[in-house]
Amino acid sequence: MIPRITIKGISKRFAAPVLRSVQLNLGAGKIHGLVGENGAGKSTLINIISGLLPADEGSLQINGLPFTPKTRRHALDAGIALASQELSLIENLSVAENVFLAHLPQTVLTIDTEMTHLKTRELLQALGTENIYPQTTIASLSLAQKQQVELAKALSMAEANCQLLIMDEPTSALTEFQAARLHDILKKLAGNGLSILYVSHRLEDVLNVCDEVSVLREGAIQLTAQSGSLSSEGLIKLISGDELFETLIDSRSDKGPLRLSVKEFSSDIFPEPISLECYRAEILGIAGLAGSGRSELLHSMFGLAEILTGTVNFYNDGRSIEIRSVEDAVAHGFALVPEDRKSQGIFRTKSIAMNITAAGLSRLGSVFSAVLPKREIAVSEELIDRLKVKCEGPLQQIDSLSGGNQQKVMLARWMEHDASIWLLDEPTRGVDVAAKLAIHNQLRELRDKGAAMIIVSNELEELTALCDRILVLSKNRHVATFERGEWNKESLLKAAFSGYLGKIND
Amino acid sequence: MNANASNRNTLRNFGFAFEELFIFTALLLLIVFFSLATDNFFSTGTLRAILTQLPALTVITIGMTLVLISGGIDLSVGSVVALSGTVIGVAYAEFEWPLTLAAPLGVFAGGCAGLINGVLGSYFRLPIFIVTLGMLEASRGLAYMATASQTVYIGASIQSLSTPIVGTGLSISFLVAFSSVIGAQLMLTRTVFGRYLIAIGTNQQAAKISGIKVEPYVTAVLFISGLLAGLGGVMNTSYLGASDPNAGIGLELSAIAAAVIGGTSLMGGRGSIIGAFIGVLIISVLQNGLAQLGVSEPFKRLITGMVIILAVLLDRWRGR
Repeated sequence: MIPRITIKGISKRFAAPVLRSVQLNLGAGKIHGLVGENGAGKSTLINIISGLLPADEGSLQINGLPFTPKTRRHALDAGIALASQELSLIENLSVAENVFLAHLPQTVLTIDTEMTHLKTRELLQALGTENIYPQTTIASLSLAQKQQVELAKALSMAEANCQLLIMDEPTSALTEFQAARLHDILKKLAGNGLSILYVSHRLEDVLNVCDEVSVLREGAIQLTAQSGSLSSEGLIKLISGDELFETLIDSRSDKGPLRLSVKEFSSDIFPEPISLECYRAEILGIAGLAGSGRSELLHSMFGLAEILTGTVNFYNDGRSIEIRSVEDAVAHGFALVPEDRKSQGIFRTKSIAMNITAAGLSRLGSVFSAVLPKREIAVSEELIDRLKVKCEGPLQQIDSLSGGNQQKVMLARWMEHDASIWLLDEPTRGVDVAAKLAIHNQLRELRDKGAAMIIVSNELEELTALCDRILVLSKNRHVATFERGEWNKESLLKAAFSGYLGKIND
Repeated sequence: MNANASNRNTLRNFGFAFEELFIFTALLLLIVFFSLATDNFFSTGTLRAILTQLPALTVITIGMTLVLISGGIDLSVGSVVALSGTVIGVAYAEFEWPLTLAAPLGVFAGGCAGLINGVLGSYFRLPIFIVTLGMLEASRGLAYMATASQTVYIGASIQSLSTPIVGTGLSISFLVAFSSVIGAQLMLTRTVFGRYLIAIGTNQQAAKISGIKVEPYVTAVLFISGLLAGLGGVMNTSYLGASDPNAGIGLELSAIAAAVIGGTSLMGGRGSIIGAFIGVLIISVLQNGLAQLGVSEPFKRLITGMVIILAVLLDRWRGR
């Protein structure tokens, strides 16, 4: 029998290879699970199938016929629906309008509102949702509700000529009950002949709902097997691989006194209080799957998030100072290197010098203090040399630098400010290998000079190479802490997946 | 090419740079054109006309440029000019205050309007465009109410501000405006305050994460714009010798045009006070020159509009 979708030798590289000759057959009426750790290539594969990215090599077939999607629209017309992890809803439109945005029922001239509402209501009922009405605007819904609407939207596409429905983390914001309802619907849809590609971190869900499961690691399919023959333990082993970590020679000096303490911190995002401490000359890592609350935790230490309960305290010579705002944090030597360099980090179109001195200027005393071009240039030149930023000079526009060099400028900004507590979110995202090593060495050097550092990273290798301690978040809960030497990739991944496994939650 | 780029960078660093040089050349070309095309463009009459009209628009444009650089806009300045003028008129004519008190009162009124704009736009997080649009209407209404829609005659005592000082050809108003240009340019390029305005206008998020508290600066820059519009009201009143509640209609658009011609970005983060000042000169040279050519008023406006668009177009090309 010809499979519904054939994926043949798909490869893709960005800076490094992301997908290596991926081979998959998705049968008609089958639910196929796809699992893998962060950065294994799942999103890239989804994007290629749904027409958002072109493949470098390889081909796709639908029902045995070649298919090369050039745009999202093209893939949609061929019958490939996608319920994405990142919401694609328009906030100011109603639920019904969003669900049927691409194919709104029409009378001769106008939108057939009644029909749209009716069909939406049917879909929402089938999903088992409550308290979501077709006429409600998206902006007034909670995140979980929005995700349900996103699902309804994908399902509405499935109604019309749908061949393949891709579900990317469909249950991450759903309760067990809602997830079970969704799985029933998916099974029913598959029973009617639809193919479903189900991508999720919740391994139990994957094993329950899928007919077949494939494991993706470092861009290559490790295994495809009937789900009945697999266990979640076994999957974790396959996801992590059996590789050993490079154990770095631990040359660092002993950690110093307490510098930062978060006590009983909770917020909308963190239902259970989280406490953590970071010491002088220590690098603390925060690991977790995408969406486990890592960045949010980092932001709240920097005074960027609403805090419901708990405190963030900074310690200096035994004195403790509470941090209540970003200004407090920066004034006491905190540094935040944000994940999204472009929108939160750099000042585009401006010189490297201005980018470097932006934070340190606050120490000049008054806002009417003079900015001295000579001083700025001298300071910037020194940091450019120290960090080996590849550029023409401190007055070059930052836009023209590579990602790695821009990131070095971000570090330089806080070095110029003499930061003593560093919060780094994905410090080497989108950075080439050489720059990555340089940044790692710089971070170690800062640590050895006494900085207290907290690093969030998608890459376990980065954390295990740098950190003295790793704290693991799973589903916005602190589930484990490992000291250097106690961890291996499997134990870290196991902890990261733990919140998504059993039925302990919700 | 590299040497060129670094040269330009060095210049840019000192605030007065390449960008201004470009626009300055355009101004010179315009002057050359008009002096060839008309018989007596260089007459004292023309010069005086330009120099007396200039100060009010100049100080208002300074405020506007600063606001635009910080990522905002101030639509209220034209009306605030009228408000300031009528406050002076009422204080002088009805309460019989001396001008040395009445004039500062006008500036103060402008400052109040600006402060309200600033507080609403930053601490209350209202869109600055809307807040200043509201202030445009409100100030104009207050100006009419203050004088019961009448022009209040003040006379020679205030006109001395805009009469050229004997021997120099420059009025007090002009000197004040010109030193404001220099002062504001230095503040923008050489102080932490100016640097923060640029940072906030370029990337508010990044500025916040760098520890810059955004609200006080947004408030301050709108406050400054209000003060300068108040000062513009004093200058305008002095030029007219009377306070006119109809004064300054559409002035905010001239100020935006001058800023944009001078290389200021409406998206925030980029601009120069010197450039904006040259923009003011270009607009007034253009208008006086065209008037001397005997060009009709509608045609003058058509050409001014085209010059504004041309300036932005050239700026875009230059940026590439």
